Amino acid sequence: MVTQSQSIPTKTSDHALRRYEDIRDLLPDVDNPTPLVRVRNAVPADNVYLKLEWLNPFGSIKDRAASYLIRGLADSGALEGREIVEASSGNTAIALAAIGAIDGTKVTITIPDGVPEETKTVLRMLGAEVWETPDELCPVDHPKDGAIALARSLLASEGGSRYAMPDQYENPDNVRAHYETTGPEIWKQSGGEVSAFFAGFGTCGTITGVGRYLKERNPDVRIIGIEPEKGHRLPGLKSFAEANEPGNLDWSVVDDVVPVLDDPAYAMTLRLHREDGLLVGPSTGAIVHVINTYDDFKEGVVVGVSPDAGAKYTTYFQEMLGDEGLPII
Amino acid sequence: MNQGEQSMTIDEKPEVTSTQILDTSGLVCPLPVYKAALVLRGMESGQVLELICTDPGSLADIPALARQRGDRLVGIDDRGAVQVFLIEKGPGT
Repeated sequence: MVTQSQSIPTKTSDHALRRYEDIRDLLPDVDNPTPLVRVRNAVPADNVYLKLEWLNPFGSIKDRAASYLIRGLADSGALEGREIVEASSGNTAIALAAIGAIDGTKVTITIPDGVPEETKTVLRMLGAEVWETPDELCPVDHPKDGAIALARSLLASEGGSRYAMPDQYENPDNVRAHYETTGPEIWKQSGGEVSAFFAGFGTCGTITGVGRYLKERNPDVRIIGIEPEKGHRLPGLKSFAEANEPGNLDWSVVDDVVPVLDDPAYAMTLRLHREDGLLVGPSTGAIVHVINTYDDFKEGVVVGVSPDAGAKYTTYFQEMLGDEGLPII
Repeated sequence: MNQGEQSMTIDEKPEVTSTQILDTSGLVCPLPVYKAALVLRGMESGQVLELICTDPGSLADIPALARQRGDRLVGIDDRGAVQVFLIEKGPGT
């Protein structure tokens, strides 16, 4: 079980040498930012950059939130003698499972049943227990998100003594992670020239935390949210037509919401793979597709978040590709 | 109560033998439904699950689950704090 002294160590590493005593020392901050890389070919504009969050130690932007959430639980004493249970479509789950593995804390994940097999398998490889959950779980009182409902029922069961739940959708530590790390990194990496930030709505920690930080530095920075359609296949993104708005979402920092469809999102994802060598996941394609159709930002640095990499979604792409790339004999 | 369902007490169970027993005491919705669906998935048609619940919501949830899945609710024993359901797995569910 986690003790306060075990949770996320204080960083002492030298990032210039890149030698570390603990994988968690690689968690990002303004002194160790994830890269900001220009999209050179898939978009015509020359000022569009992606923040490559898949280069975090556990593979996604959720490393930031997971580390803050676990630290918050440990510091409050809520983890004493308890396991972790959380609802996640994958990336937060992987980060929680990895950190839990280091700490010796058992992690149980309730996960929507549409999540690709790769993610479920990775979680089990990390030692997590995985409960696949259909969205329409309750036959009477249909909650919009069955995985969240199941995680909350696990938390409440057995007298509430077995589990602690980070609750990434409602926990302000999620927002704080991005306010204290992602936002300052983008500001510094853009030399204060960031003009727009594009992100999806998931737990809404990223868009709220980054949006709040950037607008405090420059109120003219535009914060644009991307929302998929109901029944979409863009992991990590939420359509509010079928999911509740997280408590972490602060609409006051969001300037515009742009809908996105699966097909152009996946088409752009493949373009990023094939034209820019950026092996991103589908949510990045959705974000870059919207940036490409948004004509307002000729000046400054336009930043899109790239939450994770494409390797976790190979089964999705196998369906898309069909025989493409195989020899014709 | 729908056609085919019987009110019963623990001592007056219908003439069916449960193949499996699942005790979800202490678990709250939707966990009893989730676990019941998982167990039923692994059973053969015609086999009977005896499901023990303590969540009052189960009185609505479990019959609805059986209807939704195409299983037959053979009987319900509502003892207030504890409910026992007998569910016969339907054909092809």
